[in-house]
Amino acid sequence: MSDGNGAPILRAEGLVKYYPDGNVQALRGVSLEVRDGEFVAITGPSGCGKSTLLHLLGGLDRPDSGEVWFRGASMARLDLDAFHARRIGFVFQSFYLLPTLTAAENVQIPMFEGPWPRPERARRASDLLAEVGLSHRAGQRPTRLSVGERQRVAIARALANEPELLLADEPTGNLDSASQEEILRLLGQLRDRRRITLVIVTHSEEVARAADRRIAIKDGRILATE
Amino acid sequence: MRFITLITKNVIHRPMRSALTALGLSVAIAAVIVLVGISWNFERSFLAIYRSKGIDMVIVHAGSSNQLSSSLEVGMVDRLRRIEGVADAAPTLVDTVAFEDQNLASVLVDGWEPDSLLFKGIRMLSGRPLRRGDDRSVLLGRVLALNLDKKADDPIQVSGESFRVVGVFESDSLFENGALVLPLTVLQKMMGREGQATGIVISATSSDPAFLDSLRRRIESQIPGVAATPARDYVVADTQIRLAKAMSWTTGLIAMVMGALGMLNTMLMSIFERTREIGILRAVGWRRHRVLVLVLGEALVIATAGTLIGGVLAAVGMQALMLSPTARGFIDPNIPIEVLGLALAMGIGLSLLGGLYPAARAAALDPTEALRHE
Ligand SMILES: Nc1ncnc2c1ncn2[C@@H]1O[C@H](COP(=O)(O)OP(=O)(O)OP(=O)(O)O)[C@@H](O)[C@H]1O
Ligand SMILES: [Mg+2]
Repeated sequence: MSDGNGAPILRAEGLVKYYPDGNVQALRGVSLEVRDGEFVAITGPSGCGKSTLLHLLGGLDRPDSGEVWFRGASMARLDLDAFHARRIGFVFQSFYLLPTLTAAENVQIPMFEGPWPRPERARRASDLLAEVGLSHRAGQRPTRLSVGERQRVAIARALANEPELLLADEPTGNLDSASQEEILRLLGQLRDRRRITLVIVTHSEEVARAADRRIAIKDGRILATE
Repeated sequence: MRFITLITKNVIHRPMRSALTALGLSVAIAAVIVLVGISWNFERSFLAIYRSKGIDMVIVHAGSSNQLSSSLEVGMVDRLRRIEGVADAAPTLVDTVAFEDQNLASVLVDGWEPDSLLFKGIRMLSGRPLRRGDDRSVLLGRVLALNLDKKADDPIQVSGESFRVVGVFESDSLFENGALVLPLTVLQKMMGREGQATGIVISATSSDPAFLDSLRRRIESQIPGVAATPARDYVVADTQIRLAKAMSWTTGLIAMVMGALGMLNTMLMSIFERTREIGILRAVGWRRHRVLVLVLGEALVIATAGTLIGGVLAAVGMQALMLSPTARGFIDPNIPIEVLGLALAMGIGLSLLGGLYPAARAAALDPTEALRHE
């Protein structure tokens, strides 16, 4: 596989996922490629298997058959913890911030797996919060933040260990349209500044339109890609 | 943020539950400290009697488990004194009496001969020691004198008979401080055991264990029907002390297991509630062992708090026990440092055991499953 621009950062081949409890065939053979620096939107009706696909692409779960490669290395043979800690960041619809911690502390959570001593962790967290425009909210707990602000904290947390790939599962699903705008703009900036690859599951037409490419899923299969 | 900050915040986030768990643990630890401490001091106090008097060996009737149930002829003392290796021998008669007005149910009474080696290791605080020819005279241990509110020269009733306090003494042993001493012959008459002793103590010409062993064999072969035991073994083998120790350990252990179960319950609840949170930690790259350390750390923080509170509770509990006059004579309120260290180690060890299973479960959580958890 060739390196350089346009080489796939992610490749999936024939992904099948079956959930025995509920007897659900969530994915029925999905193959795709995501190139380095690309912004890909995954869309489809509820229950079609988008989250399942995203989790397989991010190595949170294993397929029943098929395989995922990250930069040419099979995920089945990767040190997944190290992969999660250093190469990839996750953003979720419900933010999942730790309620006991301030924004700055939440951003530091992934850094415990990194090489940074405590002062460095604090400094990096404040840089990241500045990057998502939340310096003034660093000391607040999540409950004191607006939903849009919470998602920005979650994005800063996903960037904590400088990943190459950001996977987001309906990151604007819980947001009003103004906050959605903000998040979309922020993601665009991150992409330009960090050359990060984005794979975003979304129901939102605006988000899908902002992407370079859209992969539409239905009933566990790829319906179309454009 | 330090890792420990995260741990502490998680514990403080559930203040009621964490506090109650710590409190439960602290009660268990206090029970261990108090019970084991008392039986430990009990034994130490016994040993102190023998050490301060230079007693190397105790002779009782063969087959008796303790002095109170033993019976020997006092005439045996002279025969014992003639055995090679015996420096001195003294008979002692032990009984208990009650001072009902002062609510003292069982006070030890020692019957000693006035110039006996048993008077070594006690210091007169006031008055004088027993003399030959003393008849209606008693000596009071310091604590007993306090409890009875008597001083030298005061009249006193012992088992319905009139005596005079001739002196108040202090001993290294709590037992003696809470006891009274009568002339042997007087106590024998009161008990209807003329010429008898419950035991005979011996100071040997050498305290070397091998020497004492050969002395023991010489005594037992020359005087049939007696059992000679080196003082240390005698104390350790004493059934009452052994019983006290076994009971305190058992009770303490049960308390500890309950504390550990409390910890288990709390930590399991806490990880079930935080299933999704733990999924997130795993998804952002936390290794299993970091999740394990987090949950164990939380258990440890609670355990440490429980242990500290337990130590304070134990100290307070000991002082409260000392308010009871009966306990005052027998219980040493000082907690031996060894017992403190042991309770601390046990508390932390058992809490970690209580935290280990929840921590392992948390670490084993599958991130996708955990994220779906509502
Ligand atoms: N752990 C699981 N156990 C059993 N069934 C599951 C599990 N996870 C997902 N499913 C089922 O698999 C199918 C696909 O689920 P998935 O969450 O991937 O859909 P989705 O496209 O993300 O839906 P939504 O848009 O509502 O988030 C659904 O029918 C869902 O109920
Ligand atoms: Mg979904």
